[in-house]
Amino acid sequence: MSKTVLTVDDSRTMRDMLRLALIDAGFDVVQAEDGVQGLEVLQDVRPDVIITDINMPRMDGYGFMQGVRADVQNRAIPILVLTTESSPEKKVRARDAGATGWIVKPFDPQKLVDAINRVAA
Amino acid sequence: MNHIGTLAERRAARLARATAATPPQPLRVRRAMADGEVVHIVQGEQYVSEDPNVVIATLLGSCVAGCLRDPIARVGGMNHFLLPGGEGAREDIGFGVHAMELLVNALLAHGARRERIEAKLFGGSCVVAGLTSVGEKNARFAEEFLRREGIRHIGGSLRGDSGRRLQYWPVSGRARQVFMGSTAPELIARETRPVATPKTEDAGALELF
Repeated sequence: MSKTVLTVDDSRTMRDMLRLALIDAGFDVVQAEDGVQGLEVLQDVRPDVIITDINMPRMDGYGFMQGVRADVQNRAIPILVLTTESSPEKKVRARDAGATGWIVKPFDPQKLVDAINRVAA
Repeated sequence: MNHIGTLAERRAARLARATAATPPQPLRVRRAMADGEVVHIVQGEQYVSEDPNVVIATLLGSCVAGCLRDPIARVGGMNHFLLPGGEGAREDIGFGVHAMELLVNALLAHGARRERIEAKLFGGSCVVAGLTSVGEKNARFAEEFLRREGIRHIGGSLRGDSGRRLQYWPVSGRARQVFMGSTAPELIARETRPVATPKTEDAGALELF
């Protein structure tokens, strides 16, 4: 059975690139364009892995991850941050908000698939 | 604006602010003009400023420069990118997306809001025989990116067969271009260089917490 990945990114182009890469690798993909929509999606879908950007309008990646972890049913879902940012301070903040791992853009499709399989195992 | 301090101190402070958001920022303020400072960028670089006296300059052939600003936050910036070969390949598009995302994120880090950002695009010309489709590919990508992302494309100058010397005032959004002959030696040399990637440390690798 295919694993389901929720991608949260405000860039339509980036969402489409992620969707194509993940579908090619055999994943089911659900998408959200910011943290607010991401939390709404989680009311209906229980993904195996979440990939989220940090810089987003309405609710950024930190707020989204805190919202995910606030629901006890979602505490075990691995969350990978996929972002252009790479500062240690932001990584610490993401870890404290509930992130499992951090990937700096631009993403390499195969490395991303490997990362998903690693945290979803 | 805070005008306390020497010119060198103000320049250093401006550079520190401009380079705080993202890694790939040029640090080469080469000369001062009577009405401000000129920051030159080359392929693979970007620069963001909230200083009305700063002018960002570049030389374009088939490359494209995205000039983005938020008129309310009074911050803007320019990038300069060239998609690598391979017509329509996903990796090539990803390269351009990354360049544009870095610039958008740098503006956001300076107080811009995504829905207020407006853009001018320059470049994408055909200046070297045999590279006919390269400029068009870059121009098309940049236009399509803005359309898909809902970023207002308010002007600029794309395509043609001449290189461009471009100056952009990131706070006011004013732009000035001078067309160059398509056989300008400086331009030919730049056009035949390898593609420069916006540098990001450990891109694509997973760091587990």
